[in-house]
Amino acid sequence: MNRIILLVDDDIFQLRLFEKLLTSNGYNCKIALSVDEAESILQSETPDLIVSDYEMPGKDGFEFRRRLLEQDAFKNIPFLFLTSINDKENVQQGLDLKAIDYIAKNTPPSHILSKIDNLLQAVREHYERSLSEIKGIAERLNLRNIPKNAPVLKNFQIDYFNQSFQNQPGGDFIDFIQVNDRYTFIILGDVMGKKWGAWFFSFSFLSYIRSAIRLCVFDENYSLSQILNKLNRVVHADELLSDIFSTLGIVLLDDETGSVKYAGAGDLPVLKFEEHSEELHYFKSDGILLGFSEFGDYSEMDIEIKEGEELYMISDGMIDFEINGEKKSDINLFKEKLFNFKKNKETTLTIKNRLFDKHASQVDDCSIIIIKKV
Amino acid sequence: MNVTKQNIDDLLILIIVDKDANLTKSENFKEIVFKEIESGSTKIIISFEHVEYLDSSFLGALVAILKKLVALQGKLTLIELNNDIRNLFELTRLDKIFDLKNSLDTAVEGFK
Repeated sequence: MNRIILLVDDDIFQLRLFEKLLTSNGYNCKIALSVDEAESILQSETPDLIVSDYEMPGKDGFEFRRRLLEQDAFKNIPFLFLTSINDKENVQQGLDLKAIDYIAKNTPPSHILSKIDNLLQAVREHYERSLSEIKGIAERLNLRNIPKNAPVLKNFQIDYFNQSFQNQPGGDFIDFIQVNDRYTFIILGDVMGKKWGAWFFSFSFLSYIRSAIRLCVFDENYSLSQILNKLNRVVHADELLSDIFSTLGIVLLDDETGSVKYAGAGDLPVLKFEEHSEELHYFKSDGILLGFSEFGDYSEMDIEIKEGEELYMISDGMIDFEINGEKKSDINLFKEKLFNFKKNKETTLTIKNRLFDKHASQVDDCSIIIIKKV
Repeated sequence: MNVTKQNIDDLLILIIVDKDANLTKSENFKEIVFKEIESGSTKIIISFEHVEYLDSSFLGALVAILKKLVALQGKLTLIELNNDIRNLFELTRLDKIFDLKNSLDTAVEGFK
């Protein structure tokens, strides 16, 4: 992915010159002729680096930097001055404003480019180190919202795949709760949001889901409808989650009879492949997002599945595509792809590889659970 | 987040100018609308005329806004959603909780 640099200078000639230098070296540039223009761009783009002139009509570079520092969303974007005003006092003032560097415009272009390359490389390495540390801590604490293995059953084969967005844990969560030899609950949820924020809250939802299932099962209650209704009321009552919403799909496998039940809350339909069908079937649950209202009215349904047939539970990232720079959500496109893979008798592993790799560009966490009747 | 505002009597109309309504903008958008609600606006229309793609973070922000308005006996109507976004609302039952209208005129009618 090309890194974005926001260039700010009132001199259009200079702007075009640096834009050419940077774009020909793999960067994606946004240019602004004034601080106001730059601030307008920042409303819709978050660059990886801001390079700004100092002397500009209206607001100058220092004022621009001060304004950015006052805003949480912008204060941590690496910032450097590129200017022809290079007296000691100005350089010091610029650096005091937490600018990473203060570069003279008459510096040879190759040096400027190297400085920017090195700077972005250092930022990237710092980020990777921090990410790796947090991941390590999560691993040690056994904080896992995607399990290590799927249970092995007599009548069903379960495969699952999850790919996080930009290599950061996200809001998709999967769980398999095998309560006894007969019943296994399969959980796929998606906390609305991305990256760490969503990841953090996925554990709150997972804890509630596990508890709701266990408590109902203690009373010999295997009704998905009742489990979801109880779960929803608890989530709704939790003030910490008042602003956080999650979708949820629950499938209950009966390994004795081979039957399947399903209920959901704001989740995408469960898809089904049948050998002699012309397309994937789908089963749509009727529940709304967990926690939105106290009474969600969740009902369950039976899904008939024969030997060799497959069910697919998916998160919304699976139906998000970026094609020619345009993002879109398209379940029909996903269904068509998956159906063609199945018709061509591709293996599960090949399907997984092609589904995940063939995304022109992943725009969210992606999860799929494949349940095959064997 | 680029949002333009206009008022028709006590109705607040917010037009999202960006074509991507995503994670980087969802929190800011929620803050903008929450401020409007705290200033007394409880009848709100949000236009998605320019929006081509909406991610789950932004959907979460919309649901939080709706929940806040419902608690205040307010009303939220979303208008001019493209087919992909409308399908996403229908697929995930969000059409059951949101009032979706095709145009500003029909939305304004709905508030009368």
